[in-house]
Amino acid sequence: MPATEYQGSFLGRISIRRNQIASMDGNHEQDLEDLEIFQKHVADRFSDLLSASDATADASVDPLLSIAWLRKLLDVFLCCEAEFKALVFMGRDPSHIARPPLDRLIPELLERVVKALDVCNAVTHGVESVRHWHKLAEIAVTALEQRPIGEGQVRRAKKALSSLVASMTVEDKESINSKATERAWSFGRRGSKDRIAGQFRSLSWTVSKSWSAAKQIQLMLGNIAAPRGAESTGLASPVFVMSIVLSFVTWTLVAAIPCQERSGLPTHFPIPRQLPWAQSIIGLQDRIGEDWKKKEKKGSAGLLEEMQKMEKLGQSLIEFADSFHFPAEPERVEEVAAQVTELAETCRKMEEGLGPLQQQIREVFHRMVRSRGEMLDILDQAGKVSSPIM
Amino acid sequence: MGKWASSIFFTSGSGSLQQFRWAGGFHFSCFDFFVGDSFPPSIFLVMEECRAIIPTYEGEEHVVAAAHHMVKALMAKKKIMNRESKQLMIWDSGSKQVLEYLQAVEEVQTLKESLESLSLNGGEKQKRLLRQAESILQIAMVRLEEELLHILRHKKQSFEPEFASFHSCEEVVVYEESIVSVEDDISEDSSRRDSNGDESKEYTIGLINPEVIPHLKSIANVMFASNYDQEFCQAFIGARKDALDEYLGILELEKLSIEDVLRMDWGNLNYEIKKWIRAMKIIVRVSMLRLLNFGEAVAIGQHLPEKLFSLLNMYEALADLLLHIDALFSEEAGASIRIDFHKLQRELGDAAGATFMEFETAIASYTSTSPFPGGGILHLTRYVMNYIKILTEYSNTLNLLLKDQNGEDPEPLIEAENAQGVPSQVVCPVAHHLRSIASLLESNLESRSKLYKDVSLQHIFLMNNIHYMVQKVKGSELRGFFGDEWIRKHMVKVQQRVTSYERTTWSSVLSLLREDGNSGSSSPWKMILKERCRGFSIAFEEVYKNQTAWSIPDPQLRDNLRILTSQKIIQAYRGFIGRNSENLSDKHIKYSADDLENYVHNLFEGSPKSLNNRRK
Repeated sequence: MPATEYQGSFLGRISIRRNQIASMDGNHEQDLEDLEIFQKHVADRFSDLLSASDATADASVDPLLSIAWLRKLLDVFLCCEAEFKALVFMGRDPSHIARPPLDRLIPELLERVVKALDVCNAVTHGVESVRHWHKLAEIAVTALEQRPIGEGQVRRAKKALSSLVASMTVEDKESINSKATERAWSFGRRGSKDRIAGQFRSLSWTVSKSWSAAKQIQLMLGNIAAPRGAESTGLASPVFVMSIVLSFVTWTLVAAIPCQERSGLPTHFPIPRQLPWAQSIIGLQDRIGEDWKKKEKKGSAGLLEEMQKMEKLGQSLIEFADSFHFPAEPERVEEVAAQVTELAETCRKMEEGLGPLQQQIREVFHRMVRSRGEMLDILDQAGKVSSPIM
Repeated sequence: MGKWASSIFFTSGSGSLQQFRWAGGFHFSCFDFFVGDSFPPSIFLVMEECRAIIPTYEGEEHVVAAAHHMVKALMAKKKIMNRESKQLMIWDSGSKQVLEYLQAVEEVQTLKESLESLSLNGGEKQKRLLRQAESILQIAMVRLEEELLHILRHKKQSFEPEFASFHSCEEVVVYEESIVSVEDDISEDSSRRDSNGDESKEYTIGLINPEVIPHLKSIANVMFASNYDQEFCQAFIGARKDALDEYLGILELEKLSIEDVLRMDWGNLNYEIKKWIRAMKIIVRVSMLRLLNFGEAVAIGQHLPEKLFSLLNMYEALADLLLHIDALFSEEAGASIRIDFHKLQRELGDAAGATFMEFETAIASYTSTSPFPGGGILHLTRYVMNYIKILTEYSNTLNLLLKDQNGEDPEPLIEAENAQGVPSQVVCPVAHHLRSIASLLESNLESRSKLYKDVSLQHIFLMNNIHYMVQKVKGSELRGFFGDEWIRKHMVKVQQRVTSYERTTWSSVLSLLREDGNSGSSSPWKMILKERCRGFSIAFEEVYKNQTAWSIPDPQLRDNLRILTSQKIIQAYRGFIGRNSENLSDKHIKYSADDLENYVHNLFEGSPKSLNNRRK
């Protein structure tokens, strides 16, 4: 694990400690202290994320669920994961880990990890859809930047934007049915102005028809329970923290990026609201949950900030296109120019950010695969695995 | 409309002004017809209105051409709009329809382009026309996009039998991997399921039928020319993605989540794995075949010099990958692909070698009949030096290729050492060829220099170009290939040219400033002095007039020559004036030495100046 991922002093301390108590059962007080530090780091990182998304006058701030913010979120996840592994596994006797309650909790965590892996795959493909929409938006920007604005270019922009908006608002379920894609392809309606000329990408590219991201999140959250009593001072706590972090990050990705079947996405997390380290996570979850509820009614494709912008601007520009007669009034042209500039800026952010975002999702995927492998090895060593682990 | 228009046009011509009127009016009326769909108003229109659209072309021929152009665009628009109401796809209606349609689109595109270049001066009508053209173009583009998707969707390549047979023998191999006898039964069942399916199915996978490629290219050309490349790419890529999806479906690859796979029982898992292996091999092979085809196409193309770097890149990329390819296709069935790729590598190597040779011979044949203005650095010189500079990056590969080509080394692969035992030059095929390229360039330069009538300019030209060559060699990887000896020799050459230039330009002039032992204030001597002075001024003016127009691009070289001129000529002049000051009055001395110093600074700037008509 790269040492740069967590504070130097923390690493120094646990390595010294581990060497000292390697053969012992584990210093309980040390564990508590380490747990507190871990929780504090988690709290700090998410608090940064929360304040980074606050809409203030600061132009460098990343809006909630923008590409830049999501990238920060994934970084935070990797940091937390690394710290978690160091805290729970490094330098400990494997038999120590295979004791209750960890012998149940770790396998449960690993099940959640597997679900998260599937979500990563689905979301990676979702980013491809976003790329596709980005290209459509760029066509519209090119067309509408021409001066003077003529009917040909306006129709061109409208065609691209209609395709964009239509494919964003189509319900996920329809995308499963490949016949729908075929229909979208047909040329029966010559002369009709608002067809979706076969550009619609099926979201069921990588997943089977019955797979549902929302369902997976529900299952992930299903059996998370905060440790109580004596367990709360042991290793059960960091496992709980990590489970929450994992579920939150996965849930956020599903909320932001189009992937198959998000209706029924839970908007409530089973976190006791008074937990001090979880305040920022709860705060973020509340905000995103609210946005989700609002959008769910409209059947939106996802909360990704850049996508929302594209949809809003796209619809507005389609309206402009519908009512367009040459020559357009100067005030109208100015209005449209401002919107086109905004759309161009959004496109630029996507151009810069989508690639790195995809890469990061893959990095998260590979990290989880590796960590899962390591954890399974440790449990194997302990030889105390009672039920088959996934 | 067309026939009527042309009859008016061609029967009118009595006198150019008349033609102008008719053409102008006709142009205008066509415009109206183009913009609206109504019957054109009377042709007899006010001239001012005609002139409004006809830009500042010179001569009536342009007007005539513009009007002709309008007729074509008009008919084009008609074709495009008519097509919108038809049910049948254009590409299904026969090649004549296709050609006509594409030509129509090109017409509108051309009209739009010429209007765009005029729109700065144009009035309202012209702008309206431009908008209309854009509008029609957009309709045509939408249409072409549909045609493209239609072709991609319905003209597919049928499955090649080669794959089917490979599949069945591959199954046998996987068979042997299954360990437990119980599972043998399961896998036997599943493979039977597989082979039955394969035998009866006629796969139409999404490979593009080669017949339609010209169609795709023609649509691509037209769409790209009209700046609708984004739409073309979107449609094309989308269609290919769908085809791949369909194909994966045919291969019966289930869409399984990680969770599903982890939970699967061994029997099913084994079955899925076999399908995966099959799919991987087929897809990889299909892609490989495509890549092979492209590679071969590039290798057999023309040996243009600019292609050399691409060929070398492809060769090197392939060289890196051949190990992997060999591993991937290690079994018997894959032998043909392996062999083909090795062959491709050789072909690319040969093509690269041949292109390199072409480049060498091309240098000698790159001649001209007119001298390069100003005596500066030839484009050829720059091109060749930069070209070989880049080539050094590929020296390892090239050495291999050239060795193969020549069969044996032209010179042994040794390093020549200088007195200190330090290698002063590397002798390898690439170095040998680079030096011969340099020699060829030099010969070419020598012949080019002969085109200058002024011998001084010949020297300047050669000085400039050889200096450039030396600088390029000194300041790059080329140094290692040419060696210090070559650099030294050529710097000497540059110096020789400088000296020759000085001599040819100034030696006769300098002789004017020599007194040859004469002195005194005798009258005839005074006359001679005045004459000499005058002669010098005239000579200087002449040199100034000519040589300010000459160009020495390298700043250091330029300064050197100016300093040299100043030291030799101006100092001599200064001395001459100084020694004979009693005999020469101010009115005989047109220029002071300081004046001349200043003028020398203008030499070789590349912009001609003159000192004539200057009076003191």
